[in-house]
This record gives sequence, C-alpha cells and structure tokens, in this order.
Amino acid sequence: MIRIENLCKKYGRFEAVKNLNLDVRDGTVFGFVGENGAGKTTTLSILATLLRPTSGRAFVGGEEVTRNPSAVRRQVGYMPDSFGVYDDLTVREYLAFYGTAYHVAESLIESRTRDLLHRVNLEDKVDAYVNTLSRGMQQRLGLARSLIHDPPVLILDEPASGLDPRSRIEMKDLIKGLRDQGKTVLISSHILPELAEMCDEIGVIQNGSLVACAAVEIVTARANGQRMLGFELLEGGRLLGERLRPNPLVTEVVVQGEQRVEVLFSGSERQQVELIRELSLAGYAIKGVSEVAGSLEELFLRLTESDTKSAQIAQPENALPASRVV
Amino acid sequence: MRRKNRSRPVEVSVVTRAVVAKSSGILLQTFGNPLIRKELRQRMRSVRSILALSMYLLAMGAIAFIFMYLNVQGQTLLLQPTRTAELFTFLSYLQLAMISFVTPGIAAGVISGERERQTLTVLLTTPLTPLTIIVSKWLASISFLSLLIVMTLPLYSIVFLFGGVVPSQVIAVFWLQLVTLGAIATISVFWSTFIQRTGWATVLSYGTVAVIYILLGIAGYLIDGVAAHNPDASAWTDAATLCYALNPLFMLASIVERFGLITPVYHNTLAASLFSSVDAHHLASSGSWFLFLTVYLAGSVVLLGACAWRLRPGAFSVFMRRLLSWVAR
Repeated sequence: MIRIENLCKKYGRFEAVKNLNLDVRDGTVFGFVGENGAGKTTTLSILATLLRPTSGRAFVGGEEVTRNPSAVRRQVGYMPDSFGVYDDLTVREYLAFYGTAYHVAESLIESRTRDLLHRVNLEDKVDAYVNTLSRGMQQRLGLARSLIHDPPVLILDEPASGLDPRSRIEMKDLIKGLRDQGKTVLISSHILPELAEMCDEIGVIQNGSLVACAAVEIVTARANGQRMLGFELLEGGRLLGERLRPNPLVTEVVVQGEQRVEVLFSGSERQQVELIRELSLAGYAIKGVSEVAGSLEELFLRLTESDTKSAQIAQPENALPASRVV
Repeated sequence: MRRKNRSRPVEVSVVTRAVVAKSSGILLQTFGNPLIRKELRQRMRSVRSILALSMYLLAMGAIAFIFMYLNVQGQTLLLQPTRTAELFTFLSYLQLAMISFVTPGIAAGVISGERERQTLTVLLTTPLTPLTIIVSKWLASISFLSLLIVMTLPLYSIVFLFGGVVPSQVIAVFWLQLVTLGAIATISVFWSTFIQRTGWATVLSYGTVAVIYILLGIAGYLIDGVAAHNPDASAWTDAATLCYALNPLFMLASIVERFGLITPVYHNTLAASLFSSVDAHHLASSGSWFLFLTVYLAGSVVLLGACAWRLRPGAFSVFMRRLLSWVAR
C-alpha cells in the first residue's frame, strides 16, 4: 500500500532523509521510530504530499505522490504531530467542512460524523465548539477528521504526543480498532512500548536512514539476539566487570554493585555457557545468571546510540537488513 | 414575418436563461466552496463582526446626518444640491480611507494566520487546490468589506433626494472602491502567503498601501511640477499621469473633480492644492481608468497565482504536466 524507493530529501545542505526504502503492506500498522530530527516527519510529510522529495519515489495505493498528488490525498488521512483547530466552529461543522473538502456526499457526512464521533467517544460533544475541547479530545477529533473521507491509508505523526496516560490508552485502542477495520496505518512515535502493542511492524530511522525494519516479533527477538545477561554474585562484582570489559563478545558492562553485574552479550548460547564456566573456574562467586528480556526501548537506544554501534548490531548472524523483513 | 417577430423574444429568453443558469452555477460553485462557507460562517458568527457592521453604519449615518444638519442648520428647505454633492464627496473619501485601513487588517492574516494556528498543514492535505484555497480566502476577506460598502448604498441614496449627484458618479465611485478593495486584499494575501508571521505581513501590507497612496502621489506631484516647466516633455506628463492613475485617491479625485465636486470641500487645503494639480478631465479621458483597472486586475491575478504557487510549489509542475498532456491530446 505504501512503497518508498531511494527517497532523499535535502534542506539546503542538510540531508533530512537519505536513500530511504520502505514497503508497508495493506492492512498493517507500521510504526516509525526515531529520535527528534531523525527524518520521521519529513518522510510522513512527503507521503502526505506536503513536501516534494529531492530524489527517489514514494507511492501510496500505487499512485506516486509527486505525479498524482490529488489521487494520493484522496487515499490518505493525515494527522500531523501538532495541529490547530478553527475557532467558532462546532465539532459537527468542523467535520462537515473537511468532509465537503474531501468531496464526501452531503448525505453521507451527517451519518459518518455520527459514526466517527461515536468511535472516538465524542458523540456528546457534537455541538460543542472545537476550541473548547481538551487537548486529548482535539487529538481524537483530529483522528475522526482524518477518517471523514474513509481513506484506506492513515498517516499519523506522533498521535499520542502531549496526551495524558488515559488519553494515550484511548488513542492506542482507537488505532488498534483501525487495524481491525483493515486500514493501513503508518504511525510515528517515541513511545516504543505502545508501538509494540499497536504495530505489526516497526522501522527505526536515524539521521534520515532506516537502520532496522522488521515485524515487531522479529525485532524483539533481534533485541534478544544481543542478550542482556544479569550476573548475581556473592561478592566481587567490580572485579567481574573489569574481567568482562576486554571480552570481544561483550558490548557493554554495567556494574550495579558487588552483587550484580549486567552485560550486553553478543555471542551464541554455547559461547554464553563457556563464558559462565570460565568465570566459575576463575573463582568468581556466581550465584546465578539470568537473561534480561530485551525491550524495544533498549533496541532503539542501542540502534540510535551511534552509527558504529548500529553497524555492530547489524552484524550478528540473525541480523536483519535495513529494509522490510517479512 | 410574424414568426420571425415571435421567435426573437424566445431566443432572448433562452440566452437569458442560459446566462442566468451559467452565472448561478458559477456563483453556487464559488459560494458552495467549503472553505468560503466556513470562512463566512466563522466571520459572521462572531459578535465582533455584527458590532463592526452596526457601528460602521451608525457612524456613517451619524456623519451624514451631522453634515447635512450643519449645512442646513435645521431648515431642510435650505439644502442646496451642491451641499449634497459635498456630502457625497466626503463619504466617498471616508469610505476609501476605511477600505485602505481595514482591508490589510483583515486580509493580511488569512494564510499566515492559518500557518500560526497550525491549520494550514491539514488544509493542504485535502483535495482543495492551492488556487481554490487562495481565492476562497481572498473572496472571504473582501466579502466582509464589500458588505460594508453595499450596506452604505442606502446612505448614499440620501444624496439623490436633494440632487447634485448623478447615478453614474455613484457607480463610478463604487467601482473604484471595489477594485481598490480587491487590489489591497490581494496585496495583503500576497504578503500573508509569503511572510510567515501575520504581524510582519500586516506591516508590509500597510507599507505597500502607503507606497501606493503617498509615494505615488508625491511622485506624480513632483513629476507634474517638472512637466510644468518643460511643456514639451510629454514623457513627463505621461509619467505623472501614470502615477496618478495608479493612485486610488487621485482616481477618486478625478471622478469628483470631473463633476466639480472637489473644490467646495477642499478649498484652501493641502488636499485642494494636491488635487488641483490633477487634470481631472485629462485623467478621466486619457485611458487612466483603463490603466487603473488593467494594472490592478491583472496584478491581482498575477499575485494570487504567485500565492497559489507559494502555497504548494509542486502543484504548478503537476498543472503544467497535465496541461501539456491535454494539449498533446
């Protein structure tokens, strides 16, 4: 449904997006993760026909965004990271305005407004002025607005930013509901655990390049591919830390005291067993070793820490290329 | 022969109906535009707009009443047609001043305001074309002031009660005001589109209006002075006429002076000395109206096109590509 080929976008000398390739299948929720300034919003803006790429191509529903932008606009519901609302318009009028702008038949607008407001839990606010709604309500109204023309594709840029926890949960549930309706959703966010719950696939973007892209399960497994091992000791944590730091299979060592040391281990399970045996023979008082579950947050931090680190992460045998993996 | 006589009214009615249908279609399309409807709804809904309309009408009415009362000193029978003409002249200048002061305030925020409110991004992702957005915003901003002008028509009709002014003058003055309103609104929309901040867009709009009124006036006056000392230099006279022709104030002066209305009002004033330099008959007959209308109407079209391009630069290449493929077909 969404295809991006060698997309580049430059602002003067600054390259916001570099040779980005992406493929989002029909009916999937794709999470776009990256730090501020990584190129997420630029990419989404190109897909929403707000920006023209410097080079490369982007397609939505088979239509190229630069060649047939009006066809793309009809297929896309776009919600920017921050957006305003019009004063002196009621919720009903606000949705009716966008419905008419999207050429939705007048007869359909009223029923669709009712349905969408019910879905976003704003049906009792139909005659309220939009500027009197809370931030969370305005975000939900923004989502309803982006759905008024029933688009097959939704592009949501940080839809949960600035929302309180309750509103975030509501927004998450709404997006899950969209997936159930078969919509293709491209969503950017910093809230990775929430993305993991909502998304079928995620892509990590850094400095305008996609550094990882895969199904959520695979990415989580990949996070586990470079395992975080927790060593429980009777004593000698600091010495163990010193001993492990030069080890080529250990990427990171965190000494949490004399009784606990955590290490980021990139070796296989056999190498892990050999390391534990070697340490025991060396006289370290190890009570036990446990594997700390890898989270998306950790993966994200590791991937975006530096280019070198991300290159290291891409090396293991189960590493995924920086393109879509099914 | 009889058949021929009968068929003529039928043909006329068919043509009339076609014209009416076409015009109403265009009107419906224009005012059925969601953006215009929204803008008008928002603008007319606020109490501020209703108050502004009422206060303006009251103020104009009060001015007309006081002017007439002072002139007749309570005795209606003493009212002279020339005094009515003075009132008409005064109201015309007042209305032109109002248009020039208020239009930038309303129109200079139409696009930059959307940008500041962060509503423009979403608007640009709808299938509304940039030209539709710009023209809708422009129409919505001039519609309020046009309403103000139209509302004063009954007030102007008072002058017909006592004579002194002919309908063609009133029509000429209203046309001038409407074209000036459209041109100033275009300039303001232009700055609003090209400048990010409404504050700066407003300042630049007022600045441009000041250039049109003050600099063109002074330039025309100075060039006219040079021309007076060089009677053979027709180029100087043409240049002065050009400066006057592009200045709505002098064009209005040319209308009222042409009918001998200006001198009684502005006798022995700076304005009188300025306007006396305007050869009203020359301005009115030398194609100045053609120049005034052409420059401001064509300029408005070019500026609105530039605004549409600025709003979504890519749309122009898409348009050109489609145009070329259509031509090729």
